[in-house]
Amino acid sequence: MPPETAPVGDVGTIVDQATTSDRPWLVIVWNDPINLMSFVTFVLQKLFGYSKEKATTLMLDIHTKGRAVVSSGTRERAELDVYRLHEHGLWATMEQSG
Amino acid sequence: MGDHGAVRLSSPIKRRRDGRYVLRLDANARVVLANLAAQLPEALASRDPMVRRLFPPAYTADDQAAAERDYRELVDNALVNHHTHSLETVVATAEADSLSEEEFGAWLDAVGTLRLVLGTRLDVHEDMDAPDPQDPMATEYGLFVFLGELQYLMVEILTDDLPDEGRPEGAI
Repeated sequence: MPPETAPVGDVGTIVDQATTSDRPWLVIVWNDPINLMSFVTFVLQKLFGYSKEKATTLMLDIHTKGRAVVSSGTRERAELDVYRLHEHGLWATMEQSG
Repeated sequence: MGDHGAVRLSSPIKRRRDGRYVLRLDANARVVLANLAAQLPEALASRDPMVRRLFPPAYTADDQAAAERDYRELVDNALVNHHTHSLETVVATAEADSLSEEEFGAWLDAVGTLRLVLGTRLDVHEDMDAPDPQDPMATEYGLFVFLGELQYLMVEILTDDLPDEGRPEGAI
């Protein structure tokens, strides 16, 4: 919400709350020593509909950098994505983008 | 992550024209798999520490402890039920000549679940050497490797069925 449309009052607090809740949540998959590379790529293709190329790039990021953001969105959306990744045995967490 | 990119002339797993999956696995491997799968539901139900790897945290920030508690309350039973159903499917179909798509998916889940539990117990790490045959962990490590080969072949078949270009919602 733009500041000028906020009702008269403590505008600063309202703006702070709005920006906090508007910041997207990031779903992160972490490298783990057990899951196969091809399995991680497959899960990213299957769950998110990513192309094989994009899923492979994300998998290699996870493998070489230790983690990658695989999706982002509302808190509810991110929690559902994390759950679907947990169902498939991937080490996934979520955090709000800073 | 592990990598099982060995060259193979002919995969022991095939998808038939009628959509069912055929696994060329010998009787011994089927018994071993069924026995392993039969052991886990009880550990899942009692939340034995050996299955902790199956319940990763969603929220790890210090100020998100309440959110993590809510998440656990929301999903843990569902995770237990999901994996238990897959493991029971493997036990029930261990000797089947062919598997439906749903059963094959359950096998993939159960194989992955067993790998995570065994791999955690073995403290597997990347580029790990196989233990000495005299090592008490050698048998379990052999099972872990077997499950990895099985998972690799199952993923190979399932990946062939996915569009390389992805689905519309995956285009960002």
